[in-house]
Amino acid sequence: MLTLLAKLLNALNSESSTRQISLAIALGFIVGLSPLLTLHNIVLLFLVLFLRVNIGGFILAMGFFKGLSYLLSSTIVSVGESLLSAESLQSLFNVLYQFSIFKLAHLHHTYTLGALVLGCLLAIPLYFICNFLVEKYRLHVKTFFEKFRIVKALKASKFYSVYCQVSGQGAIS
Amino acid sequence: MSRFIRWQGIAGFMVVMALIITFVYLFADALVKKGIEKSGEMYLGAEVNVTNVEIKYSPLTLNIEGFQATDPKKPTHNLVSFSQASAGVDVWQYLFGKLHINELNIVGLRIDQPRQSAGEVFFLADDVAENDKAGAIDSALSDIDMSLPTVDDLLNNSDLLTVKQGKALEQSYQTEMEKLKSLNKTLPNKDSLASYKEQVTALSKTKIKSLADLEKLKTDFKALKKQFQADRAIVKQAKQQVTASKEILTKQTLALKNAPQADWTNIERKYQLEDVDGADFAHMLFGEQAREYFGYGETVYQKVAPLVSGSNTDAQNAAKQAELAKSQGRYIHFNEENPMPDVLIEQANFSLLLPQGEFAISGTELTHQHWMRAKNSIVNVESDNVQGAGKLTLTIEFALDKEQVLSSDGKWQLEQVNLKDVSLQESSAFNLQLNSGVLSGGGTFSILDEQLDSETKLNLENTQYSGVGTSNLSTLFIDTVQSLKALALTITAKGKVTEPEFSISSPLDKQLKKSMMKQVSNKLTSFKTDVKAGLNTKLTDALGISNKEGQSFVDLETVVNDTDKALENLMNSDVVKAKKKEFEDKQKKKLEDKLKKKLGKLFG
Repeated sequence: MLTLLAKLLNALNSESSTRQISLAIALGFIVGLSPLLTLHNIVLLFLVLFLRVNIGGFILAMGFFKGLSYLLSSTIVSVGESLLSAESLQSLFNVLYQFSIFKLAHLHHTYTLGALVLGCLLAIPLYFICNFLVEKYRLHVKTFFEKFRIVKALKASKFYSVYCQVSGQGAIS
Repeated sequence: MSRFIRWQGIAGFMVVMALIITFVYLFADALVKKGIEKSGEMYLGAEVNVTNVEIKYSPLTLNIEGFQATDPKKPTHNLVSFSQASAGVDVWQYLFGKLHINELNIVGLRIDQPRQSAGEVFFLADDVAENDKAGAIDSALSDIDMSLPTVDDLLNNSDLLTVKQGKALEQSYQTEMEKLKSLNKTLPNKDSLASYKEQVTALSKTKIKSLADLEKLKTDFKALKKQFQADRAIVKQAKQQVTASKEILTKQTLALKNAPQADWTNIERKYQLEDVDGADFAHMLFGEQAREYFGYGETVYQKVAPLVSGSNTDAQNAAKQAELAKSQGRYIHFNEENPMPDVLIEQANFSLLLPQGEFAISGTELTHQHWMRAKNSIVNVESDNVQGAGKLTLTIEFALDKEQVLSSDGKWQLEQVNLKDVSLQESSAFNLQLNSGVLSGGGTFSILDEQLDSETKLNLENTQYSGVGTSNLSTLFIDTVQSLKALALTITAKGKVTEPEFSISSPLDKQLKKSMMKQVSNKLTSFKTDVKAGLNTKLTDALGISNKEGQSFVDLETVVNDTDKALENLMNSDVVKAKKKEFEDKQKKKLEDKLKKKLGKLFG
């Protein structure tokens, strides 16, 4: 866990593209909202590994949003329920239902569809918000926080040594 | 391109997927075992144990060994247990979110078996209300009191209607007669009437010489008439009283005449003499047993119906399902070319072991969405060792329509089932036990929208009974039952499945009634005759008293009527008119004579 957090901080402080970090968080958000073993999550996992996105950020975001999904479950289900039972969408779902892949992806399940739709819709603004925040962090927050004594104390801690090992900077004596 | 793509990610993906598959492969058995135990415990509220679970992947088959579910109400026993079960699952349908079991086999299914150690109970589920109807039918015989009172005691009872009505009639005669007598005193007597007659005669003999005499006669007669009218008003009042009294006395006489019959009816009711005639012996003997066996059926229905009918029968369960769907979601299925139910067991085979014997149960097309494949569920139960060598065949066919209305038909046949030590009646009146007998029979039933219609015909042969009675009648009853070596029963149950109305009929009723009535008839007949004769004597006595009183009543009525008639005649006498006419005729004649005289002189 410490290593993962260190990796994320390293990514934030490194020259990694802000978009790689933001995309990781956005994809982690979609996977986190959905039930773990679903077809679209396997596809997203493939994308995370195949594309150059920050894996540490993805795993942390997924864990965080998985916890959040328990609080949002009734909203997720009601989104799925309203979509699957909407009169205007019945013909569309009837057509989709004839494809095995649709059923295999469990998109006829109110929770799965609700999580996917809600995740995809909210992932877009989340991506841009994360982009903005990472940039701001790099510009202001990092330098601001480095002035604090606590940060200096942290730098002397075991966590910082792990962080340094990960980032390849070596421990500061 | 490599700026965006991480080619080694493909290998990473492969590794992750391989890890997931390996994890599932290695731990699936343990996970499913834990899943069965936990979900079973959540449903039942008591410990569920599974010895081993094995999953085979080609084709996907689930094998469960040693399943035990603790009875939460009796933790020392299992509610249900089986030694082995296997289910072949259609993987493709399972991945689509449907459970399609091609074949389900359960071996050594047992109900209510003792556990090696008591199971843990977590909570007591809100179960179906206990249908504890034991003792609901009190033995009618316990109320039958054959120690009848003596006829004299019964007839001296002042509560008898015949006695009461006789006294009431006598009382009424006295009251009404007093009223009439007091009125009689105010009536004009014979002397008054004779005096009136004399006065009228005197007036009719009055000599009318002038108009002034006529006027005087008129005034005198008017004064007399006024007196007549006053007397007639009194007579009228007396007549009204006579009519009212007559009405009261007629009613009471009629009530008195009906009283002996009413008294007999009350005696019959009080001493349960009617019950001896119409007692439902078959129901008394076998009603509780029938209810008990129907109770098993009802329990099965209560457990199975919510599963089959999609919780339509259980509001609490429905609310639970809705809550679950709200928090965890649900599958919504759309139209398909070949629609499949959410849950379907194409073929199921159970072997059920009960203390009564081993039953082979097979089911086809078990689901709760029959309309999808337009096929009914069929369950067959067979056994050839019921209570020894008895044979049972049972076929049930059921289906649910889209509106969740359950329709079911079934028939069964039972042959040569040995019965031993079956308690038929345990009440304060008597205990009766069927020591041995051979039962055969069959029946049909149908359920439509929770309405049951069932008919069962049973034949019990080679019977041997034992029992003890606490009264003469119950001992007599037991003796009669013991003398019967065979009996037939027809049990019908109709109405709501959970509260059916039973009707049990049997030639036994006639046999028992005939036999018992023969034995009690002598006592009963003489009792009936004596009581009825006594009641009739009381009636005759009461009416005899009334007849004497009645004669004086009639005499009084005659007096009133005669007085009224005499006054009417006096009032209608035309004394004034007659005298007036007489006076006018006289005057006329005088004028004529005068005129003749004058004309004679003129014409000479």
